Amino acid sequence: MQNALLVGLSRQVALGRELDVVANNIANINTTGYKADGSLFEEYLSNTARGERGDRNSGRISFVRDRGTWHNMSAGPIEQTGNPLNVAIDGSAFLVVQTTRGERYTRNGAMQINNQGQLVTSEGDQVLGDAGPISFQPTDNSVTIGQDGTITVREGNSKVDSLRGSLRLVNFTDAAQLRKDGGSTFAPVNGAAPQPTKTSRVIQGSLEKSNVSGVIEMTRMIELTRAYTQIASLLAQQTDQGQQALDKLAEVPN
Amino acid sequence: MRALHTAATGMKAQELNVQVISNNIANMRTTGYKRQRVQFQDLLYEHVSRIGTQTSAQGNRLPVGIDLGGGVKTVGTPRLMTQGTLNQTGGTLDLAIRGDGLFKIQLPDGTYAYTRDGSFQMDAQGRIVTSQGNVVQPAITIPQNSSGLTVNAQGQVAVTPQGATQSTVLGQLTLTRFINQAGLLSVGDNMFTETAASGAPQDGLPNTDGAGDLQQGQLEQANVEAVSEISDLIAAQRAYEMNSKVITAADQMLSATSNLMRG
Repeated sequence: MQNALLVGLSRQVALGRELDVVANNIANINTTGYKADGSLFEEYLSNTARGERGDRNSGRISFVRDRGTWHNMSAGPIEQTGNPLNVAIDGSAFLVVQTTRGERYTRNGAMQINNQGQLVTSEGDQVLGDAGPISFQPTDNSVTIGQDGTITVREGNSKVDSLRGSLRLVNFTDAAQLRKDGGSTFAPVNGAAPQPTKTSRVIQGSLEKSNVSGVIEMTRMIELTRAYTQIASLLAQQTDQGQQALDKLAEVPN
Repeated sequence: MRALHTAATGMKAQELNVQVISNNIANMRTTGYKRQRVQFQDLLYEHVSRIGTQTSAQGNRLPVGIDLGGGVKTVGTPRLMTQGTLNQTGGTLDLAIRGDGLFKIQLPDGTYAYTRDGSFQMDAQGRIVTSQGNVVQPAITIPQNSSGLTVNAQGQVAVTPQGATQSTVLGQLTLTRFINQAGLLSVGDNMFTETAASGAPQDGLPNTDGAGDLQQGQLEQANVEAVSEISDLIAAQRAYEMNSKVITAADQMLSATSNLMRG
């Protein structure tokens, strides 16, 4: 009798977690370069309460357990912003950012120039080029970022382009090698090493929007609230049944 | 239930987004206004079950972990310092900059501010001033009863004094550049001031080092594009609604739990 309650409870805990994941996706529906998360569930077989005493006929009960969250690494829509320091990446590559915690990888190409003329993220972390941080001179103007990430400028009144570096673009063989680290960045897992890539294309003046699909997230949310309330009523029925059984059994014939 | 707070961060972020968009739209016709754009990032994750954790002595590792995000944060509202379109006004002291530079203006307290708004006037002493009466640097005094005021592309201000037939150059306006223009602080009245993020001001002559040239009789319009602002507004409003739905859903789930307890 208690097992039904516990199975139901395991599902409710899992659904609660899934709602947390959906809520985070929806909160980040307008976050540049955000990648949606999904939830994975698995069956968890356990002996019944009686089974622990070695009663093999009692069978096994399957609970549900949240196994993990996975990142949907599909590309988000590309939005034109007109800002020369915004880049979107067409392909699976990441930009490399030097943070205080170490190298981090991001798809958020909203870059700035800091007071020392370095190319940085909105948080002030350096965006790395093939040869370290990228710096500009005070007289540089008309920044152009080519499809391969090459950054050129016009120096002062000069009519020819001067090279300032090239954005370092890296790739990972498997999205499972990355975990989210906040601030639109990803951190490598277990020392996974990024591979340089040449297959992605950099698009200047654009940003990659969040790949969260509002429709899918809302559907998931409706689905899981329904499931949650269903289980709640199931649990209520179970409790009622228990109560009835007790009442019946306790009836003393006159 | 964490979802409640996560959705609350989302609603707050979208509220701020709408605020910035409405300011852009309100300033669509403001001379020299530069549009702002909100930048969001995801918040720190709680790694409930850490990806890559070793699960057996044989070295098996978890291929996926449970990462629960805490919502969204706003990192900044940088200005987009692109060129606005020039509008012909015919005013002799209406100046527009075609390039990256800014006009340097002295505030009453002696400090300097910078602006792209070149709708200048003349004060009682004949100085070139902004609409608020702050003197444009370097201060140029135009003699009384002179005529034919011209400002050329290099910023040279010339007039024809009374009784003369030739025009004389009174001075040259300078333009100031910053290495990080988006780091300037907006102080209202179309003015910006220097910050630690913008870098030191570099005064120079128009038409040098990418500062841009001056166009007399024209004004630079705001670089706000109505279409993109309105579509951003729709997206922000929808996102706000969706976040509020998450709160409703979390509330329903909580109430389902509390209804389990009956008399």
